[in-house]
Amino acid sequence: MRAEEKMEKITRSLKVGDEIPILTKTAYMPIDPNGRNVIHTDEYARDFGMRGALIGGSTLLSYVLEMLYNYFGQNWFYHGKINVSFIGGGAVNGDIVTAHGVIKAIEKKADSNRLTLDVYLETQMQEKIVVGEASCLKS
Amino acid sequence: MTEKSGWEALPIGLEMGPLEIVLDSNTVKKRAELVQWETQEQLEKLGLTPPGFTIRYHAQMKFAALPDLRASIWAKSEHEFLKPMKVGSKVYIRGKIIEKYVKRDRNYVVADYETADEDGEVLMKSRETTVYVE
Repeated sequence: MRAEEKMEKITRSLKVGDEIPILTKTAYMPIDPNGRNVIHTDEYARDFGMRGALIGGSTLLSYVLEMLYNYFGQNWFYHGKINVSFIGGGAVNGDIVTAHGVIKAIEKKADSNRLTLDVYLETQMQEKIVVGEASCLKS
Repeated sequence: MTEKSGWEALPIGLEMGPLEIVLDSNTVKKRAELVQWETQEQLEKLGLTPPGFTIRYHAQMKFAALPDLRASIWAKSEHEFLKPMKVGSKVYIRGKIIEKYVKRDRNYVVADYETADEDGEVLMKSRETTVYVE
């Protein structure tokens, strides 16, 4: 199949509003009571109004990145972009968190498409804790 | 006159790093296990780290550069991936404080980070906004 035909087929099969495969994890991060960033300790995080020691943002982000890598494959290494905000009460150890991605735009390129997705990570309480946008070429 | 300290004294343009990170297979494997990266074996065969592998070091750089910082809480995080990171290689992260502002009585810091390989080729660009707690 010629590249253009292949692209045409991919373009036809993707549409705005499609959800990419989700990814669910049991959030976990080792808690160091003597750690430098005190938001990752129970005592301080509770004083700050949180349920307990917060799971690090880079760990939460890695769950979203894994979902995106699973969908975009190695293209993500070269063409991936993500821009997210951390909202709500965050996650604590043991929370069940699920990463979601929904296609919001498809930009046709010569030999691939750049997809833009709304992405978010939510807890078992359906509270969104990471929200934003990601984009990548899909070949 | 009171001398400024902490967030108030934080100069825009302050550079952080460079931080050298050796991406040895043991370090990569441990981190991948910690974040439960399910396709780690596949990446291991390709000799690549999971994308965004070095992002967690940005906080470490900030704490090293800002002695008054007690807690740093991510508000926003933006990353552009340009090339994969290879297991067994060294990467270098350079950071710079580019902005600070107050919103709803909280102090924020915006920093840019660039991760490059041993040849100086940029692998990832990042911009992170964090709440600065003294």
